[in-house]
Amino acid sequence: MLDRDLASEVLIAARRKGGDVAEVFVEERSSTSIRLDDGRVEELTTGLDRGAGVRVFQGTTYGYAYANRLDRDSLLEAAAAASAALAGDAPGAVVDLTDRTGPGTNRAERAASEVDAATKVGWLRTVDEAARAVSPEVAQVTGIYFDSMQRRLIATSDGRWVQEDRPRIRLVAQVVAKRGDVIQTGWQGPAACAGVEFLDTHPPEETGRRGAERAVAMLDSIPAPAGEMAVVVANGCGGVLFHEAVGHPLEADAVDKEASVYRGLIGERCSSELINGVDDATIPNGWGSYDFDDEGTPAERTVLFTDGVLQGFLQDRMRAARMGTATTGNARRESYAHPPIVRMTNTNILPGETDPEAIVRDTAAGIYVTGLGGGQTNPASGDFVFGVSEGYLIEHGEVTTPVRGANLIGRAIDVMRSVDAVGSDFETWEGVCGKDGQGAPVGSGSPTLRIGKITVGGTGV
Amino acid sequence: MSELRDLVQAALGAATDGEQVEAYAEEERRTEVSALRGEVEGMTFAESRGVGVRVIRDERLGYAWAADPTEDEVRAAVATARANAALAEPDASNVLPGAAAVEPMPELYRAESASISADDKVRMALDLERYTVSRDPRVTKVDLAQVGDEVSRVAIASTAGVDQSYERTDGWVVAVTLAVEGDETQVGFSFTIARGLDQLAWEPIADEAVDRAVQMLGAAKPETAKVPVILDPFAASSFLGVLAGALNADNVLKGRSLFADMVGQEVGAPAFTLIDDGRRADGPGACPFDGEGVPSGRTELFTGGVLNGFLHSTYTARRAGGGQRSTGNAKRGGYKSAPGVGTSNFFVEAGERSFDGLRADAGGGVLIMDVSGVHSGANPISGEFSVGATGRRIDADGSLGEPLREMTIASTLPEMLQGVRAVGSDLRFFSSVGTPSILIGEMTLAGV
Repeated sequence: MLDRDLASEVLIAARRKGGDVAEVFVEERSSTSIRLDDGRVEELTTGLDRGAGVRVFQGTTYGYAYANRLDRDSLLEAAAAASAALAGDAPGAVVDLTDRTGPGTNRAERAASEVDAATKVGWLRTVDEAARAVSPEVAQVTGIYFDSMQRRLIATSDGRWVQEDRPRIRLVAQVVAKRGDVIQTGWQGPAACAGVEFLDTHPPEETGRRGAERAVAMLDSIPAPAGEMAVVVANGCGGVLFHEAVGHPLEADAVDKEASVYRGLIGERCSSELINGVDDATIPNGWGSYDFDDEGTPAERTVLFTDGVLQGFLQDRMRAARMGTATTGNARRESYAHPPIVRMTNTNILPGETDPEAIVRDTAAGIYVTGLGGGQTNPASGDFVFGVSEGYLIEHGEVTTPVRGANLIGRAIDVMRSVDAVGSDFETWEGVCGKDGQGAPVGSGSPTLRIGKITVGGTGV
Repeated sequence: MSELRDLVQAALGAATDGEQVEAYAEEERRTEVSALRGEVEGMTFAESRGVGVRVIRDERLGYAWAADPTEDEVRAAVATARANAALAEPDASNVLPGAAAVEPMPELYRAESASISADDKVRMALDLERYTVSRDPRVTKVDLAQVGDEVSRVAIASTAGVDQSYERTDGWVVAVTLAVEGDETQVGFSFTIARGLDQLAWEPIADEAVDRAVQMLGAAKPETAKVPVILDPFAASSFLGVLAGALNADNVLKGRSLFADMVGQEVGAPAFTLIDDGRRADGPGACPFDGEGVPSGRTELFTGGVLNGFLHSTYTARRAGGGQRSTGNAKRGGYKSAPGVGTSNFFVEAGERSFDGLRADAGGGVLIMDVSGVHSGANPISGEFSVGATGRRIDADGSLGEPLREMTIASTLPEMLQGVRAVGSDLRFFSSVGTPSILIGEMTLAGV
């Protein structure tokens, strides 16, 4: 995408005012998206995106400039613009660029580019048919297929030369079910950094069926109760809770800006001792996985909690240098149009030893959460909210009536302390996390968990 | 480097018999500067351009786009879009709009704003941060102090006769503060946007961000109850996106809107009027024409609580039938996507009541200052929502009392709109959505 001599020239230009590190990020991304809606293939879009971003930083001051042209003049202009952020006047050196190779975490067995569009359209038809087959109450189905191949090159003034290709695939079913005046929705959207072989283990029929089952189940729902109660979070769902409530405050940029409730708590037991949590970018074909982060640092499995004790934060190069520690390889960017920032990858609570069915059985009253629509957190105060898309009442140890319109709200530290059961099962969930105007594909995972007491927002008072 | 209009003309030149071709080109030049601890935190310069092509052949639609393409690459995108169209299903509503008279909006571009130097923006960001941390002893740091601006140009042309272009400038300021007392930290946010940075007063933004954080110190969790609620413009604006989804004709036509069968009904209370107006030049969402070249218009979606209709593109208008015309609301998320239905300046019409007057009518209730989790907690299809909230108690005499956190508000959109008792005079835009403070008779508040 860029030859080494030109990369060096751009890095030298970016360091004309010095700085700790200069970096150039080059990207080429081809993508296909197909949307089937209302029983029809509405739109098939293909795109080719490419561009380069140049960054130079000193301490935590950085300049970033990008262009979607890759010629020498454009790159040198970007380098000059980025370097304007620094105040120094002593130019910095650029070390010889040497290849780094990774383990191939996200290998695609069958590349999506080798599959014709008609086959992809066929998968969407299967989603549509499977969803409509669930019930005559299924009123509308939207199926979305997406694949992309991102080719990246990262070169840095301290000698990194990293090339990595990342394949992505996702199939989504959004289902609307209707009974009289009651309308409910269901969603299912498995995703991976993989080729089309991913659909062998996550078949389109299952995606359509599961989305429809969620929507139809909610037709019987009653308004969720409001107030504090016990909540059992099914396997897979707790990962998002962990991501929102705990993961964001553990990102080093929040910590550095003193905008994190976990600041100063490393080595402290600030979760239930049942909690063991990691952020792991090395999971093969994981939605948030890679060989190298977007600064060219090898991916890591970073332990966040061991038996409830906080072990460390998620770092990029700028924050790690400021805090006198090592980067954990958590610098990510949406595209060449964005500077890297500290992000999660695949954030998981590890399984415990309790039979998940026993967790429900031992709960006298509360809510059982089996689907969620995402959440939001305020890292500084630790307040978070977490929307429940599929939930049920628990009455006398049994899962009973579905509930709608619920969310969970709490403070990160209090809620993680009140986890009193961790199941032996485990499931993942794939989403897109938004931060500072950038979207990043993230995985999360968890066993079945019980939170002893948390506020449920509903309308039933 | 080709001009945008040359790029779109290249696409039209590649059209073959029996098809309609439309090309949309845009370019942007954006600068953002943020300051932290008295230094520049980050400076970002962004330059991008791209072209998106729609091809309609035998009533089938295909789309392709390319970043910074040459004219040859634009012609190649036409061929790709044509191939994509062959795989889509025919839909008689797939038609490009024809030429229409567009009244230009030259006031959207300010040469003075486009020529502000990078050094001036750096100075402004540093001043913003320094001023923000000097206002209150409990606010000694910011989470974000940023200024940004953008110059953008759009050109669109089609074989159906559209040939339009325009340019605009935008400038904005964001301040996010951290107020600390003991081991408690609270966050305050403020934002404003105008035609250019030289049009903005940033001191009030800093003051407001400080005030909103400091007010929340000592916040407690309230008891669960049904109470009168005032949504301030920050909180109320969060719901407008959900309303926009439910008023989008595409969702209506496909059974994804709770408002589908309610046209002509009194869905909301008489105090509630909701408007989309792309020609309101002082709104950030102003534009002379929409994402397919149809002139922007003014659509009253709700008048005195009565639902009048929905927002339409050419496609949804044709599909709806009954003489429906596009409201000029075909919107794109940039050149990478074909137009869907979206909003321009989407706002709740201001009333005549002052904020103080609204509070006097809400004694014993709660002022909601921020809501969170709307993207997951509010459902534009069923209309149900349950979202996290922060705010303050409104005492019996209408004065503001104890700050509140860790609570949720829940209701349905129709109940909330029916419950609107009064609307304030303090209309304020946040990006392209705007709203004044809104008093709602009763909502469920969940806490302890």
